[in-house]
Amino acid sequence: MAAWGRSRLLEEAGKCAYCGFCEAVCPTLPYGRHRGYGPRGRVLLTAHLARGGKASPEVLSSIYTCLTCAACTLKCPAGIDIPALVRAARSLLVAVHEKTII
Amino acid sequence: MDVKLILSLLAENVERTGYPVPVDVERIYSWAKPLNLPRGGRAVLYTGALYQLAPYINSLVRHLESLEGRRAGGLALRLAKTLGKIIDLGKVVAKADPGEIKAVEEVLRSIARLLSAAGVEYGYLYEDDMYSGVILYDMGLDEAFARHAKMVAETLEKSGASLIITVDPHTTHVLRSVFPEYVDGFGLEVKNYLEILSENIDSLKPRRGEAGYRVVIHDPCFYARHEGIVEEPRQLLRFAGLEVEEPPRSGKMTYCCGGPVEAVSPSLSRRIAETRLRELQGVGGRIVTMCPICYVNLRRVGGKVEDIALHLSRRLL
Amino acid sequence: MSGNPGRIVDGLKSLLGRDRVVDDEAVVRLYSREPSGLESQALAVVFPETVRDVSRLARYAYSRDLKLYPQGSSTSLSGSSVPLEEGVVVSFERMNQVSEVSVVDSIAVVGPGVRIDELNLMLAEKGYMFPVDPASAAVATVGGAINSGAGGMRSAKYGTMRDWVLGLQLVLPDEHGTVLRVGCRTLKCRQGYDLVRLIVGSEGTLAMVTEAILRITPLPEQVVVALAFYPELRNVAEAVVAVKEQSVQPYLMEFMDRKTVEAAAKAMNIPVETPGHMLLVGVDVNREATGRFVEWLGKTLRATGAVKLHVADTLREAEDKGFFTLRRSLFPAQIKLAREAAGSRRVLVYIEDIAVPPSRLVDAVEGLRSLEDKYGLPTMIGGHVGDGNLHPAVGFDPHNEDQARRVEEWFEEVMELALKLGGTISSEHGIGTLKRSGLRREFEHLGSAKALELMRGLKRLFDPKGILNPGKVV
Repeated sequence: MAAWGRSRLLEEAGKCAYCGFCEAVCPTLPYGRHRGYGPRGRVLLTAHLARGGKASPEVLSSIYTCLTCAACTLKCPAGIDIPALVRAARSLLVAVHEKTII
Repeated sequence: MDVKLILSLLAENVERTGYPVPVDVERIYSWAKPLNLPRGGRAVLYTGALYQLAPYINSLVRHLESLEGRRAGGLALRLAKTLGKIIDLGKVVAKADPGEIKAVEEVLRSIARLLSAAGVEYGYLYEDDMYSGVILYDMGLDEAFARHAKMVAETLEKSGASLIITVDPHTTHVLRSVFPEYVDGFGLEVKNYLEILSENIDSLKPRRGEAGYRVVIHDPCFYARHEGIVEEPRQLLRFAGLEVEEPPRSGKMTYCCGGPVEAVSPSLSRRIAETRLRELQGVGGRIVTMCPICYVNLRRVGGKVEDIALHLSRRLL
Repeated sequence: MSGNPGRIVDGLKSLLGRDRVVDDEAVVRLYSREPSGLESQALAVVFPETVRDVSRLARYAYSRDLKLYPQGSSTSLSGSSVPLEEGVVVSFERMNQVSEVSVVDSIAVVGPGVRIDELNLMLAEKGYMFPVDPASAAVATVGGAINSGAGGMRSAKYGTMRDWVLGLQLVLPDEHGTVLRVGCRTLKCRQGYDLVRLIVGSEGTLAMVTEAILRITPLPEQVVVALAFYPELRNVAEAVVAVKEQSVQPYLMEFMDRKTVEAAAKAMNIPVETPGHMLLVGVDVNREATGRFVEWLGKTLRATGAVKLHVADTLREAEDKGFFTLRRSLFPAQIKLAREAAGSRRVLVYIEDIAVPPSRLVDAVEGLRSLEDKYGLPTMIGGHVGDGNLHPAVGFDPHNEDQARRVEEWFEEVMELALKLGGTISSEHGIGTLKRSGLRREFEHLGSAKALELMRGLKRLFDPKGILNPGKVV
């Protein structure tokens, strides 16, 4: 689907109850430096970016190391489409840096 | 934003050449030459070039890996000065493993022959067999993707086909589930070759008298979770007389090979691939992949893996 | 605290190494919140990898009056894992080694960061298990479960964390960062006062757990499972009585009341033929006895008035037939219903955690339903009836002042109800910040306010400067 805009992104990310059930199946989390390398972290960091938060190196690592493999989505009690959120965040980052990227 | 470097590299390459890494265009369709497939038709085989590109992507990843160092999770290309080296992609392309190139071309020929054996009438696109643009979509390069997708869609529509046959999970997903969102009026039917073989299984005949062997199946995320292709490969492998074993994480709950982050973080990708490979090896049996990205990524960490099309063609052709 | 935040972070980096400290604001926020909805902002997160790291950290914090907030996977529902004042989160996620599994000694020696399900996957290969199974077991860590005193579905049979921790390695928040070993590698252990059980459930306020010796137990050979629906609440109570009176201690016994079954089925599109109060009973058996128990379970539940009954020979079969679907849908259904009620805004689901003696189940459920009417808060009621632990839950919009106030009052009355029925205000989620007043109330109810004083004394003894997870429990 076409990447979500800020408000849709915030709405989706806002569904997160922070239960962490998604984390157990995430391939990147066990090898990452922190919770940002797992789906629970990524959902919150996409919301952080959508609110205009700083795209720090750690935040970027979180967003760009997602495999979009969607294992997490099957475990999410709130039914959040996490790969879609991540792509929306990437798209947002591209839009912000449009002139320099394309 | 160091990741910008990779993104701009990919975007520039796709926009300039149509492919994420530079590749001789003839190499994309030369695999089909020995088969004398007709051009176009009601149904056309569209590879999306992902199998053909996989060895070159792998070569690029190996190069990035050497630059990145081995720290898990670090984003590749911390330093701007490395960009210059990467742009020298000619060297990267030249280093692609010839064995791997031969292998992926054989996979494509096997797929084509299997479709014919199953009585499917189809043609090929040859030089119009374009890259789908999936990497642009994955990386959130929405506008670049939309432009590229429009071009691909126009080319496919121009071919006059009404059914597009895809051969890998990423191209299948992007064409079937993503194109309709990005390309106005995109209405071509998209089917994966495993689905088509499964529908026409009665037309296929297993070779008699040959002993079967054990295979361990590695489901690609995009088949299993995004496109619902789980049963078809199992049905086909069993039909071919093979004993299908499941790893601990399989089907809808399959575990990613790590491939999608290979360019952004080769070391992270490597560790995930190693984990998955150990799991697959632990089951015992020949490891079956169905995706060129899984294939090269599991191979990069020393996996002996083989594409499903090769297993099927040995037993069904 | 002495020194500015930047200096503290630099100090931690030179103490532990740069790769063991994260101070990115957005990432730190990920470690400063929990599913209870509470959130704050710590200065940094540190990731010790060895007991030496933890000891040096404790010493450093003591000398600078730096507050430390030990943390597992932030699945707490009581506020116990959220930093209250300026300080540093100590995440144990990198201390995730299983260093020993001994079937002969029936123990596993593990780091605090090991996730419970991961441990169980490893144990299952040997035919063993660690039986404490909080709903969050997929993500919850051993260290977090020890500190929250976690329980789960199997607690009626197997108890809670306090029954399964044999020994601990601890780091004290004192001037030396003292490293201690308490408890034994053996099941029997009379080491004076039981410091192990003191730490279990102490919510990271007394010491930091750096290793645990856990007791393990064989996996049951087979579990037969029955899913039953009852027209009346008292039928459910009778079923529980009937099962227990025949000297069977079920492996699991889960309950959802009729209104909850209907709401969950509707919210999650689960077909239920004859909705009623749901009872899910599992009994562990020897394989040869399967037939006898399947028959007995069916007969017992039917005799107590089950209108709809399904029985499975094995856990696997029960899974495949969807016996657990309703029970597992409870949490997602709660989230969904709360959001529907509050519009698309962010909602909180507050999950209560009282226990009453199982004999008072009917009174408890009826009491909760009348509180639902009184406060106008749609309530989902599920729980572990084998041990009387109920989890009434309400969803609300925290920005709606009227709702928030009603939830607060409801919350107080639910605890009051539990105490009145001879129960407790917290079964397995802990006290944290949300139930501090409840804890006081419970001791007052018991005429034992002095117990709180003793607890405060213990806190001072372990943590003289009050730097370890301050503001929690007592």
